[in-house]
Amino acid sequence: MIVEAASATACEPSDEREVTARTLPQILGKWWVAFAASALFVVCGHLLIKAGLNGLAPLPADIGFAARVLHPVFDLQVVMGLCIYLMGTVCWMRAVSQKEISFLYPLSSINFVLIAAASMVLLQEVISIRRIGGIALVVLGMFLMNKKAGSGGA
Amino acid sequence: MNPKVMIWISVALSAIAQIFLKNGLTKVQSRNGGGRSVTRLAHGIVSEKFIWLWGLCFVAAMGLWLSGLQKLDLSYAYPLVSVGYVLVTILSLVFFQERVDRRRWLAVAVISLGVTLIAGS
Repeated sequence: MIVEAASATACEPSDEREVTARTLPQILGKWWVAFAASALFVVCGHLLIKAGLNGLAPLPADIGFAARVLHPVFDLQVVMGLCIYLMGTVCWMRAVSQKEISFLYPLSSINFVLIAAASMVLLQEVISIRRIGGIALVVLGMFLMNKKAGSGGA
Repeated sequence: MNPKVMIWISVALSAIAQIFLKNGLTKVQSRNGGGRSVTRLAHGIVSEKFIWLWGLCFVAAMGLWLSGLQKLDLSYAYPLVSVGYVLVTILSLVFFQERVDRRRWLAVAVISLGVTLIAGS
């Protein structure tokens, strides 16, 4: 009797919570939320990675390939950027499990535009007209893919 | 190794990794049968060899990417990731027998042209 009563009161609040408050998996259970979060994390992560790489001390010329590849992994900014980027990858995996890659890939072209704009403004990179044209063509090409995938046949 | 070569190899590895990931997750999902247990899902992911292959390619691609990116502009290297879309289209055709129509091939051509412009910028 006592056990029954205890389990009844224990169940009630958790039932209520499921109606009012959403858990993280539920929020990321909407493909567009998972996708938007992945775009945000991928862009911010990459900016932080590149900022960290820009600040690395130059290595001596005679150093080996493995040491050269491992060198960036010991920089705090690069590691933080990688962690944010990995969070983006987890969100991307959530999106991919709900929608087809051929549908999501074109939408992710927003990352190219955001990264180019942010590199120019925040990292002071000089972007030529040729590079802008190339990025525009890439985005156009990806939306050509999307139109087909979205209409399902034409 | 030339930083540009590192970026190209990294991009190719990433595309192959996507195919492994899609294959692995599809297998895990079909075996899981839409169950909601997190531990069962985690076990399914960890015991799927395609997920491990994805991880391996992912780590190798990341190492090459970081080394290459050190010497190149982010606005130069990052758009080259889009070569992945061209590769994924071809790999999907080969491994998943996905139908690739004329519009899709046109899109692949436009992306390739864009990448050529960026690579020469």
